[in-house]
Amino acid sequence: MRLSRHIYIILTAIALLLCPFAGSAQSQSQKQAQNQTPQRNITIREVSVVADRPMKEIGVQQTKFDSVVLKENVALSFADVLAFNSSIFVKSFGRATLSTVAFRGTSPSHTQVSWNGMKINNPMLGMTDFSMIPSYFIDDASLLHGTSSVNDTGGGLGGAVKLATTPASADGFGLQYVQGVGSFKTFDEFLRLTYGNRNWQLSTRVVYSSSPNEYKYRNRDKKENIYDEQMNIVGQYYPTERNKSGSFKDLHILQEAYYNTGRGDRFGLNAWYINSNRELQMLTTDYGDEHDFDNRQREHTFRGVLSWDHLRNDWKVAAKAGYIHTWLAYDYKRDMGNGYMASMTRSRSNVNTFYGQLGGEYYIGSKWLFTANLTAHQHFVRSQDKNIILQEGNRAIVGYDKGRIELTGSVSAKWKPNERLGISAVLREDMFGTEWTPFIPALFIDGVLSRKGNVVAKASVSRNFRFPSLNDLYFLPGGNPDLKKENGWTYDVGAEMGIGKSESYSLTASATWFDSYVDDWIIWLPTTKGFFSPRNIKRVHAYGVEAEANLDVMLSKEWSLGINANFSWTPSLNDGEPMSPADKSVGKQLPYVPEYTATATARLGWRSWNLLYKWCHYSERYTMSSNDLSLSGNLPKYYMNNITIEKGINTTWADLSIKGSINNLFDEEYLSVLSRPMPGINFEVFLGITPKWGNKNRE
Amino acid sequence: MKITILHKIALTLCIAITLLCSSCMKWEYGQSEEFNTSGEGLFITNEGNFQYGNASLSYYNPATKEIQNEVFYRANAMKLGDVAQSMVVRNNVGWIVVNNSHVVFAIDLSTFKEIGRITNLTSPRYIHFISDEKAYITQIWDNRIFVVNPKRFEVTGYIECPNMTMESGSTEQMVQYGKYLYVNCWSYQNRILKIDTETDKVVAELEVGIQPTSLVLDCNNKLWTITDGGYEGSPYGYEAPSLYCIDAESFTIEKQFQFRRGDAPSEIQINGSRDKIYWLNDDVWQMSVFDESLPVKPFLRYAETLYYGLTVNPHNGDVYIADAIDYQQQGKVYRYSATGELLDEFYVGIIPGAFCWR
Repeated sequence: MRLSRHIYIILTAIALLLCPFAGSAQSQSQKQAQNQTPQRNITIREVSVVADRPMKEIGVQQTKFDSVVLKENVALSFADVLAFNSSIFVKSFGRATLSTVAFRGTSPSHTQVSWNGMKINNPMLGMTDFSMIPSYFIDDASLLHGTSSVNDTGGGLGGAVKLATTPASADGFGLQYVQGVGSFKTFDEFLRLTYGNRNWQLSTRVVYSSSPNEYKYRNRDKKENIYDEQMNIVGQYYPTERNKSGSFKDLHILQEAYYNTGRGDRFGLNAWYINSNRELQMLTTDYGDEHDFDNRQREHTFRGVLSWDHLRNDWKVAAKAGYIHTWLAYDYKRDMGNGYMASMTRSRSNVNTFYGQLGGEYYIGSKWLFTANLTAHQHFVRSQDKNIILQEGNRAIVGYDKGRIELTGSVSAKWKPNERLGISAVLREDMFGTEWTPFIPALFIDGVLSRKGNVVAKASVSRNFRFPSLNDLYFLPGGNPDLKKENGWTYDVGAEMGIGKSESYSLTASATWFDSYVDDWIIWLPTTKGFFSPRNIKRVHAYGVEAEANLDVMLSKEWSLGINANFSWTPSLNDGEPMSPADKSVGKQLPYVPEYTATATARLGWRSWNLLYKWCHYSERYTMSSNDLSLSGNLPKYYMNNITIEKGINTTWADLSIKGSINNLFDEEYLSVLSRPMPGINFEVFLGITPKWGNKNRE
Repeated sequence: MKITILHKIALTLCIAITLLCSSCMKWEYGQSEEFNTSGEGLFITNEGNFQYGNASLSYYNPATKEIQNEVFYRANAMKLGDVAQSMVVRNNVGWIVVNNSHVVFAIDLSTFKEIGRITNLTSPRYIHFISDEKAYITQIWDNRIFVVNPKRFEVTGYIECPNMTMESGSTEQMVQYGKYLYVNCWSYQNRILKIDTETDKVVAELEVGIQPTSLVLDCNNKLWTITDGGYEGSPYGYEAPSLYCIDAESFTIEKQFQFRRGDAPSEIQINGSRDKIYWLNDDVWQMSVFDESLPVKPFLRYAETLYYGLTVNPHNGDVYIADAIDYQQQGKVYRYSATGELLDEFYVGIIPGAFCWR
């Protein structure tokens, strides 16, 4: 009986894995496995009892990531985590290259990203580079889809990504060190030192990654010529090339300190320093000699947040203050033939952001919750680009120097008249510079359809606005100070369910239908003067389905299985007026936005062994707004398969782990972006040690 | 019992993995196609999107009104590259300058197959032949014009351009009068350079308005250039653009016709008899080289199109205008007669920017 049920559950999970419509995107709350010991195995997710669902999450479409996913291996950025564990689209050129994410067919700048409450979208570009976020630095991560982002922030026309660190729960001193060695001379190192007692939790984390990143690939975009003495071509072939000019060296340091008075007050300090030095890889169609050019981006970023939480039985107030400094350099140099690298482009940007936030929550009984929140970000941006010689012979730098205050405030009332029904109303308003948005309303409702399967139906609607970024407004040349803010409406309807048995199995699933319209969509287009300039030109209608399913099952005392599957179908259509009679883009899918994405992971545990299989799929992405296909530019669908096996060794003096990963298991030749080949099959081995010194950790 | 379970698990997972991977991507290899064209023809270089390597070459037969797109890829089974900037024809060989691929391809005009390529360039824009064994290639982000041997496909020297650094370097279109070559300097520049093709040296320079975009030589041996006036906020300056007539012999400005500030004229072209010039400024404009004032009515009115490229058939005066539409789809070319009658229209590649007549 028990056996047949297990098989049934497994087959159900496989069916969910294989059937994209069966997946769904909502996860249930679960215990964060803070303990990074190598013996970690499948944790059976707790299936929430519907009556206990948090007031704050009434009607919210949210995806949470557990620590097993976030701490899978030290080489992963948060972009990699999202690519294999969520339904949102990750656009990446490869490891340590610009990686952006987009919800539901919107653009990367429509995704708002916060770290410990502070917005970290680059104010110049509006978007976030997720390749600059090591997954080992994130302890708590969640996605707020569509309307749900209005609960947290404004401007998330697609959604919001919330990233946070949490206290390490250390008791005494602790240390963890992981060393990774991989293909293409890639080295990844992670060190964490912790100290904790009843009041204090201290943590220092360091990640250092470096690689020449010179993977080989067959270049199908160009041919090498074989000439005779008269310079006639007598042969041609597709060359096998190395990924040229793609090296990287990234250092991240994260310092945390938390103090808990034990009487309802908590203080926190988070400070994150990034030092990145990355080459920008050459295109497959580049015939330049890699040694003749130096194309490089460097970044120094500091982010710091101070927080205070004051908790009482029925109410809570919280305050945060923060600061971000980013120095960004882009250099493009050319060897003059004598070894001297002359500068062709020398861009420098300095961004200073000051952040403050006040928030409060007040419960009236168990039926009402009121919240209020006010957040301010003050940006100062100095962007310098070309160094030119003026007509009079003097020198000048092309750029801009601007500041902008960004305020967003919200109040909400959440009401749960009975165990079955929850209603939440949010009213938000944003101010950027001197311009205010109209009130941004959002309404959320959920209701229990069945207690038996913990089936909850959800619906929400919201308006939203996104202001142009500072580059949109002021970049020289091309910035357009007359741009209007983008605006839209989004509607969500969905359901989620969860069944399970403690220490035996849990199965959760959710599905959401969404429908959104964005007007005055900003897009950068070339001008007749030879540069690009942004304009409000498009109206976009995005709709579709997001779905997720999770299964965790203890097959026996020693065997466990966990499966997660995500699927999204996101038509994102140009719904505007044709730009000219010849325009064929109206009614067509936006370029570079896949209509279908699907991911699946399966984790099989036996004693101290873990086998992880990851799979993702992106459908074909059009490269033209007309959705025409061409030989010179197409991005076929692809399937990616990664596998990892891990063994934990528990000794009296330390927990050890050894892990081997194979990425691109079937050695696919694939592209995520045109003319940027991705690496073929590659390997990395990780060794981890967590000493049990400090006595208190010793078993 | 456990073994049985495990076997089933393993089997199920294997099946799942096999199914998941059954549709793994297969790379589509390009296949070469045979072409054999002759007679009058028009090449259109489609820039493609910067950094995406999706430039392409189109070929149009004016007699049959037949358009063939992506002929470089189809003939050679490889991409043209990133930002196809310009093309010229010499001795039945087409020379295509692909700016951000750092290459100039030479193709056979009948088969479109590659016969060689020039590399080791900084950021090439235009090529001009001095002889069968010497050509100049202008650059942006370089203060040098490259001297090349087209027969050996190799760089043989450089022409240093005065008052430019690598960062502010910009040399563009070239026309030749006698042994002298004239080059307009565009990005953050305001000059025409005069180069002695025997010594490969700049021998004179002439200041015009801010950012001369293009250059032609008329039947009276007068150079015509049109400036775009820069942009608002530019430290280099922002002014009303102008059309200049320059005497090639004396290298002095003879006429200046001023546009309104904020206009963006570009793409000056000349007809086969070299007595009429054309340019874009929202509308398409035409003017006799003998006229003493700018025309008051355009040759073709703006019709919700983003005119991006322009050429005139040197044999019959037909005017071809490229519409880049939204710069993210196939552009469209409109063909008009010399009197402004629409004769044909056809789709080409992404961002059609330049034309070249065979």
